[in-house]
Amino acid sequence: MKNRRFLVGLTGVAAVVSYLMWTGVRDSMVYYMTPAELVARIEAEPAFRDVGVKVSGKVVEGSWRRLSGPVHEFSVVDLADATVVFSVRFEDVVPDTFNDRAEVVLEGKFGPGEVFEARTVLTKCGSRYEAAKEDFAA
Amino acid sequence: MTALGEIALWIALPIALWGTVLSFAGGRTGRGDLVLSGERTAYALTFLLALASAGIVAAFLGGRYEFWYVASYSNRELDTYFKVAGLWAGQRGSLVFWTLLLSGFASIAVFRNRRRNREFMPYVSGTLLSILSFLLVVLLFADVNPFERLGFTPANGRGLNPQLQNYWMTIHPPTLYLGFTAFAVPFAFAVSALLTGRLDSRWIAVARRWVLLSWFFLTNGIIFGMRWAYEELGWGGYWFWDPVENASLLPWLTATAFVHSIQIQENRGMLKVWNMGLVAATFLLTIFATFLTRSGLIESVHSFAENLKIAYIFLGFLGVVAGICAVLIIYRLPMLRGESNIQSFVSRESAFLFNNLLFVGIAFAVAWGTLYPLFTEGFFGQKINVGPPYYNRVNVPAGLVLLALMGVGPVIAWRRASKRNLRKNFAGPAAAGVATAAVLLAIGVHHWAALATFAISAFVLTVVATEFWKGTRARVRISGEGTWTSLLNLVRRNRRRWGGYVVHAGVVLVFAGFAGAAFDVAVTEELAPGESAVVRSAFGHEYSLAYESLSHSRPRTGSADRENDWRWTALVTVRRDGERVAVMRPERRFYPVMDQSSTEVGIYSTPFEDLYLIPRDVDLESGAERVVFEAKVLPLVPWIWYGGMIVAAGTLVSLWPAGAGVRKTADRNRVRVATAGDAA
Repeated sequence: MKNRRFLVGLTGVAAVVSYLMWTGVRDSMVYYMTPAELVARIEAEPAFRDVGVKVSGKVVEGSWRRLSGPVHEFSVVDLADATVVFSVRFEDVVPDTFNDRAEVVLEGKFGPGEVFEARTVLTKCGSRYEAAKEDFAA
Repeated sequence: MTALGEIALWIALPIALWGTVLSFAGGRTGRGDLVLSGERTAYALTFLLALASAGIVAAFLGGRYEFWYVASYSNRELDTYFKVAGLWAGQRGSLVFWTLLLSGFASIAVFRNRRRNREFMPYVSGTLLSILSFLLVVLLFADVNPFERLGFTPANGRGLNPQLQNYWMTIHPPTLYLGFTAFAVPFAFAVSALLTGRLDSRWIAVARRWVLLSWFFLTNGIIFGMRWAYEELGWGGYWFWDPVENASLLPWLTATAFVHSIQIQENRGMLKVWNMGLVAATFLLTIFATFLTRSGLIESVHSFAENLKIAYIFLGFLGVVAGICAVLIIYRLPMLRGESNIQSFVSRESAFLFNNLLFVGIAFAVAWGTLYPLFTEGFFGQKINVGPPYYNRVNVPAGLVLLALMGVGPVIAWRRASKRNLRKNFAGPAAAGVATAAVLLAIGVHHWAALATFAISAFVLTVVATEFWKGTRARVRISGEGTWTSLLNLVRRNRRRWGGYVVHAGVVLVFAGFAGAAFDVAVTEELAPGESAVVRSAFGHEYSLAYESLSHSRPRTGSADRENDWRWTALVTVRRDGERVAVMRPERRFYPVMDQSSTEVGIYSTPFEDLYLIPRDVDLESGAERVVFEAKVLPLVPWIWYGGMIVAAGTLVSLWPAGAGVRKTADRNRVRVATAGDAA
């Protein structure tokens, strides 16, 4: 009898935690894509332009321009497919580790234009980054 | 030195393997000589790994850039201090360091148990040595050998990421590693208990102190990491729910659950299977944490090295260890039956059990969120991330219930709490909680989670204070000592209990510090020299920040031939309600070698809040020296650090070996003294 009441309590805890997890996932999930995946998805499904996504890619060297004030423009290239490149606009202060070779994770959406409107820009911090052997030769 | 280190690493592997075989064979056949010889390989391994580590440090100090690892994480201009810390700056070195720490703990375990707990020791050392063998195999054969050469010698190294050039960053990883590696010892005792079938609570009595030691380092390691993020990342936060952070939190959560649940086993003989599960899960999670940071499987801003070979090796190891543990537990299931049942919902067992469920629930939710991108990619072909709102949704309510249980657990009666027990222990604290909530509501605090945190905090602190007061008063009456002497002796008589209370009080402060975030204030303004900005604290007073001037320097002149970092330092005078209280010198630095800038924030810390000043941007082109400042007033953040120190102090009280006055209890817990001779 006592054990049954106990089981009800345990199930209750598990149920509440699962419910919170479920709604938490529902309300905070974001697609995490490569530039190539995003471009392909938009081609197949134009409405996807307005879906907020995270995109990870690499800043194209030399593409970073700072327009008036804190408005930045740069291009991002897919890490695996160098033919996929698009422009990004970001209106805030870029992170310290940002430079025009940085690997970045952008959060935002294309919207109507051809330029990806980034709401946040994160750079991958280099704490565990190890330069390739060839990089040293340069 | 470096060559010696490299050789040491190669010699270590066969020795570790040999030690593993000897220990298990000795344990199986009961031959004490094999066991002794097996155990002692731990000492040899510690020596060899110390040599290997010294070899790496020597390579850093000597600027041996022909080594890939050294060239990747240092350059000539780097401070000596950070060169030494280069040992754990990257993947390769930190694996050696990790292995060194583990062998060190294995040696301590072997040495401390050279005369006692002999019945456990063969399999304890066997287990530890097999983990060490695994790590050495990884080091030597998984493309992570720190002594790997580039094949040519670059003129200079890459330098260390500026964000890692911070005091906290040099002590955060080693502290965490100490916590991770120390947990292997209680795990080894658990495995040994399962193998030998000595499944009463003796292994727990031995393992308990190791668990606390590991918990001490894990807790501090996590808090140091938060401190580093707070001071160095420059956004005024301390936790990001980043996969790597989560990875360090997971074993902490299950270890915390274990610290509590073993008390039920010791007192009531219950939860034996659960405890075995927790100790195994925690150990696996320490390996998982390594795996997560060492593989590239989950995207994180920490950007791991993508080494898939290592990912598979670690996954395989995790699978094998999990499988062995599961088989052993199932095999011993008949001996792991509980000696009693829970008699009432309103009892200490029940409170502890809910505590455990919540810790494991949180761990599950955090793991789920961390691995969600992997699941969705595996099942739907598309990575989907979840963000901080997910973690807050689950962890805020669960954390609040845990906070409340912290006040309930220690004073509610075992078995079944009577109404009288409840009234006697909880009437006062509950009143304190309600009163706190009422006062806060009256002064206009409406943020529900913060309100609940402060009310429950008041409840818990009252419980803890009342316990100390009652205990001291009783002792004064019995012994006739003075109040302070009584308090001191009280704690000394039962360090575990009173240390635990101190930990709880520290955790309350940490939680209050988290809740302070509900009242953060931030102002961003672009200022020219001579202008000021104003920011109003949640406590009602006003800070004015006067930007006086900008200076520009290249301070490290020692590096003659190459440009080092450039610094722009703003001078800002801080006035609180018109009274001058501080001068801040926030900085922006630029590192030409890395083509990166970094921000050194200004922090003016008071007991109740931090004024946090971020120089977001310096206008260099127009010559007007305009700076974009973001000023934040962060209430109660300092309490997180104070709370952390109190938690650490409380853990040490619990950990400290019992003094002469309390030998009796210690003796009672001690297991039969056996020597190698009678194992034979």
